[in-house]
Amino acid sequence: MNEEMSTERLDRIEAILKSKKIQEFEIFFVEKSLYETIFLKDKTENEREISDFEYFLRILTQKENKTGIGVVKGNSLESSQIKKNIDTCVLLSKINSSSKYDFPSKVNISPINTADKSILSDPLTIKKDLAEVLISEVNQQKDVSPTFLRFRTHSNHSFLRNSNELKLEARKTYFFMEFSLKAQENGKLSEFWDCGYYKEKEHLKLNERVSSWARRAKDTLRAVEPTPSDNALVIFSPSVLKKAINPVIGIHALGQAHAEKISRFNIGDVVASENINIIDDGLLEGGLSSNSWDSEGNPHQLTEVIKNGVFQNRLYDQMYAMLEEKQSTGNAKRAESGTVVNGISNFKILPGDISFNDMISDIKEGYYIDKFSWLNPDEVSGNFGAEIRNGYYIKNGEFLNPIKLGNVSGNILEMVKNCVYISKEREFIENTLFPYMAFKNLNVSS
Amino acid sequence: MIFLNYEEIITNFEEITNHYNRSDQYFDILYDSISSTNIVKTPSAENFSVNTKKSGIVARSFLGSWKEVAIEASGDMNIIKTKIPKVSNNGNLIAEFDSWSLNKEIKSKIDPANVPIDEKIKRVREIYKYVKNADERIINVQVKYLELLIERIFVNNEGCKLRQVIPRTRVFVVPIAKEGSVVDYDYFVKSGEIGFEIFDSIENEVLDQAVKNSLAMLKAELPPAGRNTIILDSQMAGLIAHESFGHGLEADQILRDRSYLKQHLNKQVASEICTIYDTPSIEKKLGSYFFDDEGIKAGHNILVENGILKNFIYDRRTASELKATPQGNGRRESFAHPVNVRMSNTYFGSGDYKLEEMISEIKDGVMLVHGFFGMEDPLGGGMQCTSKKGYLIKNGEKTKILKATALSGDVLEMLKNIDAVSKDVLKLDGGTCGKGTEDMVPVTSGGSYLRAKNALVSPG
Repeated sequence: MNEEMSTERLDRIEAILKSKKIQEFEIFFVEKSLYETIFLKDKTENEREISDFEYFLRILTQKENKTGIGVVKGNSLESSQIKKNIDTCVLLSKINSSSKYDFPSKVNISPINTADKSILSDPLTIKKDLAEVLISEVNQQKDVSPTFLRFRTHSNHSFLRNSNELKLEARKTYFFMEFSLKAQENGKLSEFWDCGYYKEKEHLKLNERVSSWARRAKDTLRAVEPTPSDNALVIFSPSVLKKAINPVIGIHALGQAHAEKISRFNIGDVVASENINIIDDGLLEGGLSSNSWDSEGNPHQLTEVIKNGVFQNRLYDQMYAMLEEKQSTGNAKRAESGTVVNGISNFKILPGDISFNDMISDIKEGYYIDKFSWLNPDEVSGNFGAEIRNGYYIKNGEFLNPIKLGNVSGNILEMVKNCVYISKEREFIENTLFPYMAFKNLNVSS
Repeated sequence: MIFLNYEEIITNFEEITNHYNRSDQYFDILYDSISSTNIVKTPSAENFSVNTKKSGIVARSFLGSWKEVAIEASGDMNIIKTKIPKVSNNGNLIAEFDSWSLNKEIKSKIDPANVPIDEKIKRVREIYKYVKNADERIINVQVKYLELLIERIFVNNEGCKLRQVIPRTRVFVVPIAKEGSVVDYDYFVKSGEIGFEIFDSIENEVLDQAVKNSLAMLKAELPPAGRNTIILDSQMAGLIAHESFGHGLEADQILRDRSYLKQHLNKQVASEICTIYDTPSIEKKLGSYFFDDEGIKAGHNILVENGILKNFIYDRRTASELKATPQGNGRRESFAHPVNVRMSNTYFGSGDYKLEEMISEIKDGVMLVHGFFGMEDPLGGGMQCTSKKGYLIKNGEKTKILKATALSGDVLEMLKNIDAVSKDVLKLDGGTCGKGTEDMVPVTSGGSYLRAKNALVSPG
């Protein structure tokens, strides 16, 4: 879809809103294109091309001490359907009763680059070339075979306009990769299976990544159940850490969680070990959620969440900032339904002063968890328990043997108060830039 | 192309489908439209959103591998002919299945389209208010109402001409309780291929119980870690049937050589008192439909009978490759997502025990209640399923309430250690299932109570 066509479509929606004399409105319009190859073993199984767009309308009706917010999502550009959508949105806003809310005003926002020009200009070739490299790297590995792979490029073009004359536009490109590498020996099977989004081509590191998958798949052949311990020292990989920190620390740091009385964090409280510094950075170069503006048009920024273990700042979208008489920190996210909700952007944890290898050397007995089956902690209580899919038992400063099965359990809110090591090395995992971290007093069962 | 009605869509689809001869290549095209109303109430906000018929088209052909193109419904359909090549003599690369016609809508008792939006919001607010005022320890309530109307129209060059319209509705209530520094919750969810009548089953007694369940969690203790005799409720049984076992039966995993179950066809995989089904043709469940997204009629698949593995789960491609009969398990999340082999309604058949008998025979054990989440391990056969809560069983009685409890270990070992299945009526609970972490489709899973020996539990 060319830019002129997108602008025409936006203009058409805006003109109808104005013709209906809607005072407070917002249009979020997004075009998406996606190119994917799915492999069965190392052979192409499906080549997919998808182009799609949708728009979201938000209309406000101001009331005494409250605001009514209506949201409608659609992809029909027929005038009659746009008019119908606007009428529905107005009706919703009249019934709705939310905390006081205004759309953000127009401010100067410096754009940041979140799109790879080569993907924008020729996504098919980029996808084809990288998928070929991926398969070639996989086929070079000894003693492992792929069972399936998915590789795709995404390209989004977003526009945000509101009745305060705010007009924003952004392009974003990124990759998705899912794979499973299998190892087999004497009737035993093991695999390394992972998936995720990668913001930059440089983050794919296909050569390094494929070698690492292969090693992990082969190591898991020798994996045994971990020795139980109710006072275990456990190192989490950056990807495991993302699944631990984002849903729990991320929720408790939000303005919404405070307003709704479920946050355990008060400003100035010690909520983590002294060595932990967590920053929400919506402008992080290479972060999957990076953009110059958030989902309602406030500028993204950098906000210190935890400094030296002390809770510093809550993360606000416009609604919760207004409710608590603060400024938005650019932490509005658009839900699938089109509603705007309070959420984190990119989380980064500052690096420690020890290398990952030195961390291992320093540990007398412990466990390294590369991947759980599914780490899904309870957001409110922080409790978690997850089965080990790929990991290692550490004894006297070395990986003694791979481990699998068995469970690691604990509470994320307590766990972050027991951080023993933070590595110098950090990795981008979607909307995080996290190091390896070691925590004591966790429970390992088998 | 802007479509106005079913006839026009069918006419356009037939025109494009006729472009590709079945003897040369298999071709199909699907129209997907979704309308939804989403109402969420929390203490500080009300989120109301309406999705007005977001629609798209996906077309594909099998040329030794799939070539697939998806566009929004207002896009130019001619692009399909440009992107999907016309070839010769590739028709036998994939088997031909029965062609048929259908045009069917599920009519709910109370069609949500006939209920004004303010009435829906009123019901959500009433539930919120009732739960919020039920006890001063309830510090936060979240009530979510979601109604969906999904229309799918499918045409292929084998002669299939199909349309189905399915309503799906869900109400989710989370009372969050606090006492001292302890904050915890349980939740209530009701869902199905039903309409606004969903609210008829959410009476005050149901909400009172949801509040009691959340308050009880404030006293919950950590479960023991280690091997135990366990009882699973129907939700946990369903999680095992679906996540730990069913994913390994999806025939794409068989073609990939990525299933621990590939070598077990017609062999003992569970205790002989176990029977497991996948049935998309059950009426009015969240995982039910008339045809899948490849035009295959929804069937009834006996996966395990008296402990013996009888069948895998197929889509069109895997059924062709493995010379099997598909039962309608090729599903897409939407036009923008690929077809994968997916489960529908997956469940254990009932047995002949009473729950009380099952408990009374246990000296030390754990009962896992309210299935929360689970993850598949199709290659390794590992199991991770977590319940929202549990109960300690001592000397034949349910005693202390326990926090979230995880069940892990080897799934076949657990299935073979099942020594009792209750005779309760089949209970299916709805949810969504991903293939890996995406491509979400609605499903149900369930069964009745199961008892197994020597299972690994730990805090979850």
